Amino acid sequence: MGMVREIVKNKYLYVLSLPGLLFLLIFAYLPMAGHLIAFKRYRLSDGIWGSEWVGFDNFKFFFMGSDWYKVTFNTIFLNGLFIVCGLGMALLLAILLNEIQKVVFKKIAQSFIFMPYFISWLVVSMMVFAFLNTTDGILNRTLAANGLDPKNWYLMPEVWPAILTVIYVWKFAGYYSIIFLAAITGISGEYYESAKIDGATRFQQIIHITIPLIRNVLIVLALLGVGRIFYGDFGMIYGIVGDTAPLYPTTDVIDTYSYRALRQLGDFSKSSAVILYQSVMGLVTILIFNAIAKKIDKDSSLF
Amino acid sequence: MKIRKRWSMMLVLSLMMATLVGCSASSNDTGNAAGDSSSKGGTAPSAGAATTKLDPVTLKIILPGDRPADMDLIIKEAEKRMADTINVKLNLVFVPWSDLAQKTQVMLASGEDVDLIFDAPWLHMEQMISAGYYEPLEDLLSKYGQDAVKVRSEQMFNANKFQGKIYALPLGNTHLAGRTYLVRKDLREKYGLPPIQTYDDLIKFAYKVKENEKDVIPLLAYGQAGQKDVSWGAFRAFMEYDPQILRSDALGQSLVLYYKNNDGKVYNLFDEMEPRVWSWIEDARKLYTDGLIHPDILALKDIDSVINSGKIAVAVYNEFGVPSSMSAAVAQNVPGAELEAVTFIQTEKGKNITNFKQANFQAIPKVSKNKERAMMFLNWTAQKENYDLLAYGIEGTHYEAVGDDQYKQIGTNYSYFPYAWIWNPTMDRLNAGFDEETIKHYKFNKDANNLTTSILTGFSFDPSPVINEISLYNATEDKYYSALFDGAADPNETWAKFKKEGEANAKKIQIELQKQIDAFLASK
Repeated sequence: MGMVREIVKNKYLYVLSLPGLLFLLIFAYLPMAGHLIAFKRYRLSDGIWGSEWVGFDNFKFFFMGSDWYKVTFNTIFLNGLFIVCGLGMALLLAILLNEIQKVVFKKIAQSFIFMPYFISWLVVSMMVFAFLNTTDGILNRTLAANGLDPKNWYLMPEVWPAILTVIYVWKFAGYYSIIFLAAITGISGEYYESAKIDGATRFQQIIHITIPLIRNVLIVLALLGVGRIFYGDFGMIYGIVGDTAPLYPTTDVIDTYSYRALRQLGDFSKSSAVILYQSVMGLVTILIFNAIAKKIDKDSSLF
Repeated sequence: MKIRKRWSMMLVLSLMMATLVGCSASSNDTGNAAGDSSSKGGTAPSAGAATTKLDPVTLKIILPGDRPADMDLIIKEAEKRMADTINVKLNLVFVPWSDLAQKTQVMLASGEDVDLIFDAPWLHMEQMISAGYYEPLEDLLSKYGQDAVKVRSEQMFNANKFQGKIYALPLGNTHLAGRTYLVRKDLREKYGLPPIQTYDDLIKFAYKVKENEKDVIPLLAYGQAGQKDVSWGAFRAFMEYDPQILRSDALGQSLVLYYKNNDGKVYNLFDEMEPRVWSWIEDARKLYTDGLIHPDILALKDIDSVINSGKIAVAVYNEFGVPSSMSAAVAQNVPGAELEAVTFIQTEKGKNITNFKQANFQAIPKVSKNKERAMMFLNWTAQKENYDLLAYGIEGTHYEAVGDDQYKQIGTNYSYFPYAWIWNPTMDRLNAGFDEETIKHYKFNKDANNLTTSILTGFSFDPSPVINEISLYNATEDKYYSALFDGAADPNETWAKFKKEGEANAKKIQIELQKQIDAFLASK
């Protein structure tokens, strides 16, 4: 009964949410039924229901080998680096941008750091190659010109988590900094005024006013990132690393690994099995981190 | 608060229910629709359809490579010629080679409306067939494809069946795939070296280039995981004899499982290292550490453009002869540069073993609504004047016929790609620009009798019993194989790791392959 009264009472608000709900229904809930084919031997000609049930058979290919925990670790490690460094850098940029007094310079700086967000991964990959290759890469030429030994970066897996993180930060920090900047702009000027009267320095204002007040935004963005921590950014990693085998030990993530293992097989069931694994693990992590966030600060958790 | 929470739970639950119901209904529909269309395809009547005028139909054809500049001219002319008979309009979709495997697979898997599609055993032919994406062609061929059958030898059809059926039209102009080293002829002459006859000559030339040419990289092969058969060391398997080491039917690009001596046995490099294969690996390592092989070989994605830049002295290539597009590009980028084709494949009767498997196919997907018309079109392309149009372009504009079996390309607006959709040994013309040696190779290998028939001719491997092992093995092999055969990693260490991770799966694949081969040989 309460439910009906609630709907009647707030019917216009609920109507407002309809498009969003519909979107979620079509793009988030409907496809969930597709997880069914992870438990079937799916053949296009037999359809979803006509295909044979095979239980957990499709999961075997992924968990049978010795690579699955390595690629799972890589996925979490790289995404962890991306979340921490990306958001950290974005926060720093937002605060620095906020301190700029000259509007023109602020706008120009903002545009410049935002720009890389629009460059496609494919182009980024070519830029990276132009930068790092051995024959005439910019970096190696610079090293040689300074009397240092050029390095074959594409044979050195240990440096690639750092390289990928730099690329990620370069591409996304500008984007996130805009979100932070919006949050900072929302902070009432009175806080700063009273702080100034009490003799707080700019640095103290940042530490004690700005950061605590945008902590919610930071936590929400981090939680959203954590929710996808089991998904490697395929466009980025495959675009940049591609099939360069020596880099696999540190850059191979769940998505690229399954892509390579399955690309010749055309097997939808096995890829669905991998996706189901990623989704379930993603769900578990976000529940855990949400609980932690709730413990720290009740208002900033997602649900 | 509490009420709202319960209400939202209800909402979520009802959404999920609706989802399940909605999806079950829709997927049933698609299942039925697929069934209907395929049964329609099978029972459609009217054998004499090719002679009467038909309703216009547009065929969507998926081809690999880049769209030639003048493609539209040729399509217009072809459509004009077909208007009164089979009345087909052409919608040609070109997919770049590098994206081919992935894109075609997604097209098929998503049920995109495609009427003819390029596929190949080295791409994902067996897998797509066993996934049920392609229509068997026997009926269509006998009803609408008489000419397409006539221009290909019986051997070609028999050897290219999959699981006992013809699932795609084999495309080929010869019975042995050509393999070539493209060599900078101008540099060789500059250093006064005689024409290259052996692999040692080739390497001697490469060292000469290394010493004298600062801007030229001596050797180039492929290093990305999808192109393992054309890595530097593995490429040598195509050109060495006694015995010939042949790749297996289970792992198309890999040498880890292999055949030799035509004895119907599957050999496994993990069981016992073939000394010759090991010498190729060590040789590649030496060449790499000496700085002869391109240092970025494993990271390069577009090999053709690197060759075209003219900064390479020797590159591996998958045909006989120098392609006209490449010799033009090299000459343009480096004035005076010229490529020549060097191959160590022998033209001695019976020296080469072949299973007559072709490397290129056109298949008709199950989802196509125009299966008959697609076959009629393939049949139409098997007539000389139509073949010439689609293969070489418009006479006088794009090519000049030289006799009945050769041609000379004019300009670069219609580049050569008949191998992707219409190739057959009867109609095909050879490039008159090829050197004598290359033409000799092509002519020699056109005659099936010049080659030793493999006892596995007609065999095809069904991967489904070991599909998990194959996918796992592929993932392992991708990590090590190219680095090993291109010399980018230490051989002993890499091989030890490769063996440790890949051995168990390779063994299972070997056993299954051997089992299927034994059954095939027993039934012969």
